[in-house]
Amino acid sequence: MGNNTIDARLLSRMFLAGAKKLEASKEWINELNVFPVPDGDTGTNMTLTIMAAAKEVAAMEDADMLTICKAISSGSLRGARGNSGVILSQLFRGFTKVVRDHDEITIPILTDALDKAVETAYKAVMKPKEGTILTVSRGGAEKARALMEEGTEDMAYFLGEIIKYSEEVLSKTPEMLPVLKQAGVVDSGGQGLLEVLKGAYDIFLGKELDLTISEARPAITSQSLDAKADMDIKFGYCTEFIIMLTRNFNIKQEMDYKAYLESIGDSIVVVTDDDVVKVHVHTNDPGLAIQKSLKFGALSNIKIDNMRLEHQETLFKKTPNAPAAAPGKPVTAKPAAELPRKEVGFIAVSAGAGINEIFTGLGVDCLIEGGQTMNPSTEDMMNAISCVNADHVFILPNNKNIILAANQAKMLVKDKNVIVLPTKTVPQGITAVINYVADQGIEENTQNMNEEIAKVKTGQVTYAVRDTNIEDKEIKQGDYMGIGDAGILSVGRDVAEVTYQMIADIASDANELISIYYGEDIAEADAEKLKQKVAVNFPSHDVELQFGGQPIYYYIVSVE
Amino acid sequence: MAKIAIVTDSNSGITQKQGEELGIFVLPMPFMINEVTFFEDISLSQEEFYSKLKSGADVVTSQPAPANVKKLWDSILINYDEIVHIPMSSGLSSSCESASLLAKDYGGKVQVVDNLRISVVQEQSVRDALQLIGAGKNAAQIKEILEADKYNCSIYIMLDTLYYLKKGGRITPAAAVLGTVLKIKPVLQIQGDKLDAFAKARTVKQGKNIMINAISLDMQNRFGGISDENVRLHIAHTERAAEAEQLKAELSGIFPGIAINADRLSLSVACHIGPGALAIACSKKLAVAKN
Repeated sequence: MGNNTIDARLLSRMFLAGAKKLEASKEWINELNVFPVPDGDTGTNMTLTIMAAAKEVAAMEDADMLTICKAISSGSLRGARGNSGVILSQLFRGFTKVVRDHDEITIPILTDALDKAVETAYKAVMKPKEGTILTVSRGGAEKARALMEEGTEDMAYFLGEIIKYSEEVLSKTPEMLPVLKQAGVVDSGGQGLLEVLKGAYDIFLGKELDLTISEARPAITSQSLDAKADMDIKFGYCTEFIIMLTRNFNIKQEMDYKAYLESIGDSIVVVTDDDVVKVHVHTNDPGLAIQKSLKFGALSNIKIDNMRLEHQETLFKKTPNAPAAAPGKPVTAKPAAELPRKEVGFIAVSAGAGINEIFTGLGVDCLIEGGQTMNPSTEDMMNAISCVNADHVFILPNNKNIILAANQAKMLVKDKNVIVLPTKTVPQGITAVINYVADQGIEENTQNMNEEIAKVKTGQVTYAVRDTNIEDKEIKQGDYMGIGDAGILSVGRDVAEVTYQMIADIASDANELISIYYGEDIAEADAEKLKQKVAVNFPSHDVELQFGGQPIYYYIVSVE
Repeated sequence: MAKIAIVTDSNSGITQKQGEELGIFVLPMPFMINEVTFFEDISLSQEEFYSKLKSGADVVTSQPAPANVKKLWDSILINYDEIVHIPMSSGLSSSCESASLLAKDYGGKVQVVDNLRISVVQEQSVRDALQLIGAGKNAAQIKEILEADKYNCSIYIMLDTLYYLKKGGRITPAAAVLGTVLKIKPVLQIQGDKLDAFAKARTVKQGKNIMINAISLDMQNRFGGISDENVRLHIAHTERAAEAEQLKAELSGIFPGIAINADRLSLSVACHIGPGALAIACSKKLAVAKN
């Protein structure tokens, strides 16, 4: 019989091993996602969450229990991404709350800590669902209590039995959640938790493992980022200036002017304010934009950057120690300190040039790039909140897998009143901001916006990343899928047809507006064709087509 | 009994012709269009105004020149004993303030009513004043009654575009960014002295519903209930005659028995909100006006 207690040094090594084990299984856990959509993967989210804490733990030498517990708790809380990541961070938070007061963890202490972990995690979730990571963790904690009460004294046996039992619970998750059964998988979050426990157990048993934590973010993230960044640069010069109007610039001229800019570039922002026009455009010929603009007045604050060169530079500068230029990085015009304090501010999670422009145009102060491709972490949210110099800050997560991280950020921020509006989709976020009324109080607005959000039905079209069977629909890898609020609505090989079927499914006579946001991979002409078809077949609705520019989702559609 | 005349300005939406029919005097509001002065309904028709506005001309409103006001009053007082002067809201123009100053020289013969009205509800005040004259009130009493009643009205306006509001600097910069990409129809409200944002609509239908709900609540909560006894409804528009008629039909269905008049919005409001706007207003009937 070996060691029956766990000291600070052992705990930190067990934690690191758990993190490594989870990271190693990440891809496999991603595949357990029920929906075969290319986004917000559980394995990636949980790994990023635990790695944020592991980095802090790895940097410590000979730290005491309290210090290590603090590192695990705060590191994972801030790094938490996605629902499974947030729940994992809450498990750690509860666990460390108990063990941090002891130099040596014994079986009774461990039992209490597991109970506390489960209790804390359940509390963090508004409507806890069984058949998930929550159930698996609760199973483990219950087994621990039973073993402890039986008088178990052998820590290795104790830990081994807990893991065995948790695995049993995990194997039963398909019986608790029909979607899991149909897809033929176990719960991915529960699997992730088990990987952490197994890694920790290996160390306890004395296995020699490599516990170095690399500082770089997981490869998959930076790869996809780099690929995206390269792809994005169709137009090489970021061109910005202000026109001080001396000639007429009415709506018609403004539209013509925008149309001209669209013909020579993209990422166009034209904001008219009394007698000045602020212009931003990415183009391969800044001269044309400037010549055209001179017809309306004098130019000032001209700034032209070669984005291709700068992109090379950022790639070059990216050392293993520097975090990748990440999604989740808040995008705001000026640091908060430079802006006057105001009463109310808005933060939106957004992806795509068009969607970004819509949110900015509606008065959103700070955008967090993310959503489909990457769930921003709690810390990303906190950074964004610090960028908004307002007493009350509304957050629009715009994705159901980001709401928990936003709520976690709300808990951690003390100097501002943060209100998370539970927007699950981009159109819900847009509707929320539109319905904000400056004169009304915070509570009245919150209630009103929540009511309006509930009226928005959303459908999103993406592709299947693997074969699966879900809700009795046979889906092949590469198929297009129209996904509504409650599940998959249409599947097929033709993106326009799949989108149309999805719209037909969610539209009803009680609604009056259909908004279609087309993504970066859809040609405007194709989107226009789809819009015409929808307009003809739904004559009682207004049909609006907008460029969203979002990745992953070919079309995002809302019916309200 | 004193012979009392009523003067209002063209903001009330009352045309020169309607003024003659009602037996009142309408002071035309001056407009500066590309730095040339025009007078509403005298040297400037609605059609000319909108075509100039849409061409991007620089349209600026102004208050009636004090000399013109004085001249009108003097000519009226040859045949009348007293004047009740009902100018546009003092919150939106300084017309009222200058008229009040001028009136000081008339020793109480000219009573300037500061009741924060504009457009269709200003017109309602004129009609109320006529009733009060009929009921035997003098000018000072009429002023007092109308001013006590000033907040008993509200106006909701759905705009087709924010362009003109932005151009005129009538909304805060934050609100001005609105709708740059999405088609958004803002609904504004006028409660007495201020033009304010009220809500935003994505569709005309939604915008109408917002206005109808708001008016309905005002009638119930502020104006003593939805009945012809208590309230009068008004519809006003800028270049949306057909839609205004349709809205009138809809309102008659929702609020049966309540008198509704539909009219064009006066140009001084139109130049700030542009063509394509639709408004619903409500005013509480004066107790004395009941019969």
